[in-house]
Amino acid sequence: MPLYMLLLYDDPTGWMKLSPEEMQRATEKYMAWTKKPFTKDSKRLAPDAGRVIRSQGGKPKATDGPYSETKEILGGYYTIEAANYDEAVKLALDHPHLDHGTLELRQVYGT
Amino acid sequence: MTATREAGALLEHLFRQQAGRMVAHLTRLLGPANIDLAEETVQEAMLRALQTWPYEGVPENAGAWLFRVAHNAAIDAVRRNKLLSDKSDAIVAELTRSATAPQDAPDVEVQLRDDELRMIFMCCHPEVSQESSVALSLKTVGGFSVREIARAFLADDTAIAQRLVRAKSQIRDRGLTLDMPRGDALKRRLASVLDVVYFMFNEGYTAHEGEDLIRRDLCFEALRLGRLVAASSIALPTVHALVALMAFQVSRLAARVDELGDLVLFEDQDHALWDQRLIGLGFHHFDQCMAGDEVSEYHVQAAIAATYARAADAQSVDWSMILRLYDQFLAINPSPVVTLNRAVVVGKVEGPAQALAAIAPLENNTRLRSYYLLPAVRGHLFLELGQPVEAAVCFRAALECPCSEPERRFLRRKLEECGRATILGQD
Repeated sequence: MPLYMLLLYDDPTGWMKLSPEEMQRATEKYMAWTKKPFTKDSKRLAPDAGRVIRSQGGKPKATDGPYSETKEILGGYYTIEAANYDEAVKLALDHPHLDHGTLELRQVYGT
Repeated sequence: MTATREAGALLEHLFRQQAGRMVAHLTRLLGPANIDLAEETVQEAMLRALQTWPYEGVPENAGAWLFRVAHNAAIDAVRRNKLLSDKSDAIVAELTRSATAPQDAPDVEVQLRDDELRMIFMCCHPEVSQESSVALSLKTVGGFSVREIARAFLADDTAIAQRLVRAKSQIRDRGLTLDMPRGDALKRRLASVLDVVYFMFNEGYTAHEGEDLIRRDLCFEALRLGRLVAASSIALPTVHALVALMAFQVSRLAARVDELGDLVLFEDQDHALWDQRLIGLGFHHFDQCMAGDEVSEYHVQAAIAATYARAADAQSVDWSMILRLYDQFLAINPSPVVTLNRAVVVGKVEGPAQALAAIAPLENNTRLRSYYLLPAVRGHLFLELGQPVEAAVCFRAALECPCSEPERRFLRRKLEECGRATILGQD
């Protein structure tokens, strides 16, 4: 079955408004999602801008990622299994992240 | 780090309770003037969990994880923060030591409970107003957010935030410490702690407006704080009396409101809905409050609540016992509200006419002028006397007073009852 990458973008400052109780409830919802049978993998990305590496005049050069350009950053990803995009979208519709940020789906080519 | 996805479920209120105890602990290490810093670092730890656990799963000991991350955040903050510069090395050393201490070791557990206790005692310092004390206790020891406190008090966020700012600046300006007072000062402080805890409890228990869930949380937080004091070395009998009182009352929480959110009077409550575990807890503390000679208001109220709790059903309540206890209560606290509550019991024991006579002196009491329960009780007594016309006048007067929606619905039902009784009487 095809695999899809579910990319989670959010604005980390948005979480600051939550109370401990609300944070716990949110965490529990996400964790429940990772346990769904179609979720194959999940990884968090470090909360920094990362590096962008480009060739400049034939020489590769690393710069800090485009952190300030956009408010929402990629916080992590899940790998899910679905028959096609329609099904993948349907599965993602009840993802708790939709209360906090944006989801992006990309099929892993060749799966 | 061992992260197991199966570890999954978190303990109920883990974040909230862990937040409270971490803030108390870090406030001791950072100094009371830096409560804000303690709160920020604890929030940072929770945020880190929120950003990590959804992907990596919950670590085996979630509480200890939060604890360690909060300590590390505090260490970073102290190193950055110039305000603490003269003491920062010592503070960092202490934080480092504490960060690595196993949180479930018995002595660490004792230390953490002691930190929470000191924090409550500081929040309830007489130099801090009672309103602010409640808000600050809920925020720091309770792990409630400003918005949650505002919802519980039906206040707006800004008002609560200002109350907290005021309380914290009072702590800073007056140099309040986490040191436990001694001797008579300790007794006085304990009394103010109990008042704050009971105030918190009543806010959750008596109002029928607002979000039920947060009010219920308020009751249980007050009970938890009471038990924390009761488990400490300063557990005077009064403390046990208050804990017993709260446990008995909270045991009936589920039975007080029906599925539609309407009030259910004691007589009509389904006893199967009473929480027997909490009643047991109540009696456990009630037994302990009997030590010593002191009879406080909490003692009498706990004894009244215990009498209700002992009854197998509404018909077997020992009303004359309750009346004797109310006489005692009135002697300690001759307030109009106690007089009114006592009158209800007089009605059960001696009949509605005597009860009406008992509340007659309250008629022109200014403190009760807009208290809906006074006319509501009179209306109830007139109904019992078979005087529905007089009763209707009282219920209409009650509806003029400020009261919550469920209370209003209750009064309207009573008014309809008067109408029916009037028609029957004319037949």
